[in-house]
Amino acid sequence: MLICTKLEKSFDKELFSNFSLSLNPGEIVAITGPSGCGKTTLLRCICGLETLDSGQILLDDIDITSKPAEERGIGLIFQKPVLYPHLNVEKNLKLGSKDGDFAAALEEVNLSGFETRDVATLSGGEGQRLALARALLAKPSVLLLDEPFSSIDADLSEKLVRDVRSILKERNCPAILVTHNITIADSFADSVISLA
Amino acid sequence: MINKYVARSSVIIYSLLIIVPLWLALDRLIWVAGYDVIGWIESLERNYISQGVLEFTLIQATLSVVLTLALGIPIAWQLGRYKWPFQSLIKSLLTMPFVMPSIVAAMGFMTLIGENGLDIRSERDTWFATLIIAHAWFNLSLVIRFCEPVLSTLDPSMEEQLRLLPSGRTKLGRIRHLWVPLLMPSIAAAACMTFVFSFTSFALVELITLGEDTLESMMANVGSSAGIKGVMVSKNEVILGASLIQFSILLVSLWLMSWLQQRRQNLLPVASENVVKRNNITGWLIVLPALIFAILPLIAIMISSFRIRETNSTGSTQYWSTEGWEYAFTATKSLPSAWDALQNSLGYAIITLAIALPLGWMLAQTIRDLEQVKPRIARILDVFTMLPFAVSSVMIGLGVMLGMIKINPQFFYSFWLTPVIAHVMITTPFVVRIILPALRSLDPSYDECGQTLGMSKFKRFFLIKIPMLRGSIIISSIFILAMSMGEFGASWVVTRNSDWTTLPVIIDSIRAIPYNNPLIVPAANAVSTVLMMIALLLFISTEKFRPKRDGGMF
Repeated sequence: MLICTKLEKSFDKELFSNFSLSLNPGEIVAITGPSGCGKTTLLRCICGLETLDSGQILLDDIDITSKPAEERGIGLIFQKPVLYPHLNVEKNLKLGSKDGDFAAALEEVNLSGFETRDVATLSGGEGQRLALARALLAKPSVLLLDEPFSSIDADLSEKLVRDVRSILKERNCPAILVTHNITIADSFADSVISLA
Repeated sequence: MINKYVARSSVIIYSLLIIVPLWLALDRLIWVAGYDVIGWIESLERNYISQGVLEFTLIQATLSVVLTLALGIPIAWQLGRYKWPFQSLIKSLLTMPFVMPSIVAAMGFMTLIGENGLDIRSERDTWFATLIIAHAWFNLSLVIRFCEPVLSTLDPSMEEQLRLLPSGRTKLGRIRHLWVPLLMPSIAAAACMTFVFSFTSFALVELITLGEDTLESMMANVGSSAGIKGVMVSKNEVILGASLIQFSILLVSLWLMSWLQQRRQNLLPVASENVVKRNNITGWLIVLPALIFAILPLIAIMISSFRIRETNSTGSTQYWSTEGWEYAFTATKSLPSAWDALQNSLGYAIITLAIALPLGWMLAQTIRDLEQVKPRIARILDVFTMLPFAVSSVMIGLGVMLGMIKINPQFFYSFWLTPVIAHVMITTPFVVRIILPALRSLDPSYDECGQTLGMSKFKRFFLIKIPMLRGSIIISSIFILAMSMGEFGASWVVTRNSDWTTLPVIIDSIRAIPYNNPLIVPAANAVSTVLMMIALLLFISTEKFRPKRDGGMF
């Protein structure tokens, strides 16, 4: 269970303050708000890529507020898929887990047979599916999604939203999605929080 | 982010490497000459400036810049704007001279104007013109490397749009309103670099001119008798005065270059080369002579290494033989074998690589990390790493020599690794200049994504950073090896009083043997051929790893 209490962060202006959230196993929450309101920074603070000004984050009753990102066990899917161009699909997956079932992981995201493909040849949607498979192979306690559907065209995006949600639900993996798109937030998440 | 202790140690090691030898050298020179800046300049004026050394240095450097640009811009235009068969081979051949050791270039031009070639070397006008042409040959690739990427990848819609506007209807209008403003920063940066290299040129001046001195060659020649209390005090003053003037001029040039590079148009709309380029048959009128110009001195060296002069009562004839090679690769009482020199050069190059590459990487990473949190300190460190560019290689050699003599003269003469110190000083700034842009262009999300996948710093470094920067690492490594093997100025100063030698130094030593021995020129050219082939092999291997739009730095 993820519990965020009174999170606060500001750069030149205050991005968010007094932000609290609790996330149960298998629960999916969406955070919406206009551009520049601090949605992405909030996710980066939760996963440890940015430091909070104040507040506390507990994951399964352990205080992870000052732990480095790589030790938190929280996964993040970036807005544009981050795939390592010097590695093929399977080797990218290996970064998530050395000895996972890669064929099954690819099948789960509808990319069966893509093991030896060069990541440069993947479309935006395929890239995001691969990034998701890789993040899930790392068995994160919580998965954060930073507008992963925004760089994909509408038809594909709808299908991806459905697929990702069902994968997360099957695995009982809690997730936080940030997006400015209310429709996507509604169809993807169990509950929606506005960060305006 | 690099560990702060690693960052600090890299800066400390580099500072020690750069500052300590130069500080010790200055300390020793000042100990002999006294602290009197005006006196140093006056002594330099009395002894050398009045004889035209500074004037000659400035004039030859300026004319070299003018000729390099005059030849380089049309070639860069042809390569950048049109399609050529075997395009990468043509580009490689035209840019290859820059990685050639300067002594190889000097030997090539000496052969062309010497008795095996045009036989016009003894005329004063000839050697001056040859020096300028040799500098242009050497620096041509700078103009090509700086300008060609801008020309070859600029989105054609920029020119197409201008053609439809009143000010761009004529070719001249488009040159004036599009190409000149676009290319000017690149041209000016190439001009600054050419000026710096011509100003500090040593091997070409030493070999091609008939005893004429630039500030650089004068310092090298005077340096051997400097640093001894009470002996030839004026020479110490001359070195101090000359290095002060040289440092100031080079610093201004480098500052100008750094400023211009910041202004270079890295964010111009880019298109594929295939979209931009068209065919142009008449362009061969420029490209073909340029290719001949680029390879002629090198072919001359190779051929000349097999041509032996035979003088008899009826006159002088020549025949083909490998005697020059045998002579070069056999040790005599006065001269070590070229094998020994080759082994030394390879050893120095490998050790230099082992030190300069990690050191340069750590410095580049430290600058990159500081840019995000303390940009002003990053800028200071960035300029600091360029400091050796503002100090000529001869001065670096003098620094190492005088510095080590001050610590322990016996150690200096017997320590085989001494030249490595100079080579590390000279090559590390190049590593920083190659790795830093690569680090800047590396999307931070690659590392961040690695963090969210639970990868440790160590894993991220080896599985993400190193493979993604592989090209820059390989280019840096090859550059270090080529530069160390071909380095002449510092090695010449450091090794001429010692028992070891390097390939470039042995070429000079063979040349110094009286010319009545018919094997001298072929033997010197044989060693030059070996050095040339090594440089060529290293250069060809870098081309594969060079990014398409590398901004042309090196």
